[in-house]
Amino acid sequence: MSETQAPETEGQDETLVETLQLERIEENLFRGTTPDNSPGRIFGGQVIAQSLLAAYETIEARVAHSLHCYFIRPGDPTVPILFEVDRSRDGGSFTTRRVVAIQHGKQIFNLAASFKDPEEGFHHQAAMPAGPHWSELKDQMEVMRELMKDAPEKMKAWLSRPMPIEMRSQDARTYWMDGPKEPSSQNWFRCRTPIGDNAHMHQVILAYASDMNLLSTAMRPHGVHWQTPGFQSASLDHAMWFHKPTDFNQWHLYVHDSPSAADGRGFIRGQIYAEDGTLVASVAQEGLLRMKPAK
Amino acid sequence: MTSPTLAETLSLERLEVNLFRGTTPDKDRRQRIYGGQVIAQSLLAAYETVEDRVCHSLHCYFIRPGDPSIPIVFEVDRSRDGGSFTTRRVIAVQHGQQIFNLAASFQVAEDGYEHQSDMPEAPAWDGVEDDAEVRRRAWANGPPADLDWIDREQPIEMRTVDGKYEGVSPDPREPHQQVWFRARHPIGDDAYMHRVILAYASDMSLLGTAIRPHGVTWRTPGFQTASLDHAMWFHHPTDFNEWHLYAQESPSASGGRGFNLGYIYRASDGVLVATCAQEGLMRMRKPKV
Repeated sequence: MSETQAPETEGQDETLVETLQLERIEENLFRGTTPDNSPGRIFGGQVIAQSLLAAYETIEARVAHSLHCYFIRPGDPTVPILFEVDRSRDGGSFTTRRVVAIQHGKQIFNLAASFKDPEEGFHHQAAMPAGPHWSELKDQMEVMRELMKDAPEKMKAWLSRPMPIEMRSQDARTYWMDGPKEPSSQNWFRCRTPIGDNAHMHQVILAYASDMNLLSTAMRPHGVHWQTPGFQSASLDHAMWFHKPTDFNQWHLYVHDSPSAADGRGFIRGQIYAEDGTLVASVAQEGLLRMKPAK
Repeated sequence: MTSPTLAETLSLERLEVNLFRGTTPDKDRRQRIYGGQVIAQSLLAAYETVEDRVCHSLHCYFIRPGDPSIPIVFEVDRSRDGGSFTTRRVIAVQHGQQIFNLAASFQVAEDGYEHQSDMPEAPAWDGVEDDAEVRRRAWANGPPADLDWIDREQPIEMRTVDGKYEGVSPDPREPHQQVWFRARHPIGDDAYMHRVILAYASDMSLLGTAIRPHGVTWRTPGFQTASLDHAMWFHHPTDFNEWHLYAQESPSASGGRGFNLGYIYRASDGVLVATCAQEGLMRMRKPKV
């Protein structure tokens, strides 16, 4: 289970590429850390991204086309995370890896991913839905700062620190304010700091960002949000399919809808489009959604 | 002698606390093992190590082709037994190599927030022809081995809504389709076996959605197709001896791969009981020089 909100406090100088970096301890063993300024739990997208990076470190030249993860235990931001890679297969066309993330001797997370050489072939894609353009929308942090303009100075300073991912949406941060909504939503997003020329880092950071805002789409019909007293939410799993390479320093539209909530869980699917309408990735996630039983 | 039920053919032998062995039924011993069989047996292996909790999701990769002529060994990793959730990983091994992995999560059933997407319009199952009939007609002049195979009773009854196509070069169609399906043999009272057999069946027809716009089928010479992964979320318990609508769509095909989503609705009341996602290989083999 993981924190569903990304840390809103990245260091001024550090790029996300630097934050996510791993130290190689042994051929298939890596160590990563969490930025100092993270809240109580580790943001799920960070562990997804670092696990995918660990898998990439054991692969030559091939490109990730899918990943599947489980959040097993809450991550502890105060200690490093160990990533153990299992080289499941190096095949003629495909490479398969499994990664287990460990803290305090326990599995906190697992990822399985598959990699291949790019090829040409059959092509179709779902059309990008209509919606407001990013240039017409306000930055989510700006919306938060306006909402909290009477907050204490310390809080305002915290809200003013730069975010690694820029987000713009109609109401992703305010949807609960005027009653239940449809279980669908859109946001524009991109990585604020330069990712560079490595195509695989664009995937890694897209994976990082793909865990943001998603789960709240399942909360929309129920008038709750991650700060509602007694409400408990956490990502349980995360799956992602990379259809096309992309430059995540450019704006992308993230379209999500939640086909189901039941049994304390909400299910959400997401589609990520480049600004020209190319579908670059699909996402699926299930999350815990429940009110804590009254004490 | 009556033929074994699907629950019987999927059953596993326990070799050790976390180690199981399963086999492929003789009648299915064609070239490769059907993917849904390995999904179902891996989920069963995980279930054998879990008490009183219900599987709510699973994620798998098909890593190597399965060999139907020898048993499959399933190794279960007890990743976590938590307060609310139990997590398991299973690796399926043959010839000393991983052929498949599954990760799954289990929970205690609870009440809470509810919403679901509506079941799409579809002609009722009793007005749709059984796929086996369509196939029998289409293959009437085919090789005897194929005819022999299609005359065998299939464990899952399937009825494709706009007519199953069994030729080699269909007209391009939209990347979505609807299939009615249910388990033919009684599954019994164990709720978890309904999930296992639904998982078995969920690997059928899904990949066919992505190839619909491209004028090919799995019978087109040179066309290569295989499931690469499979994910499934169980939203509600169900009785899979009843008819269910499997509504499928493919949002993307590119780079030799097709991506598919499938929504499984119960016919009787329209409840969305499960969602599936699968990516599959779809490409024309390079001509040999």
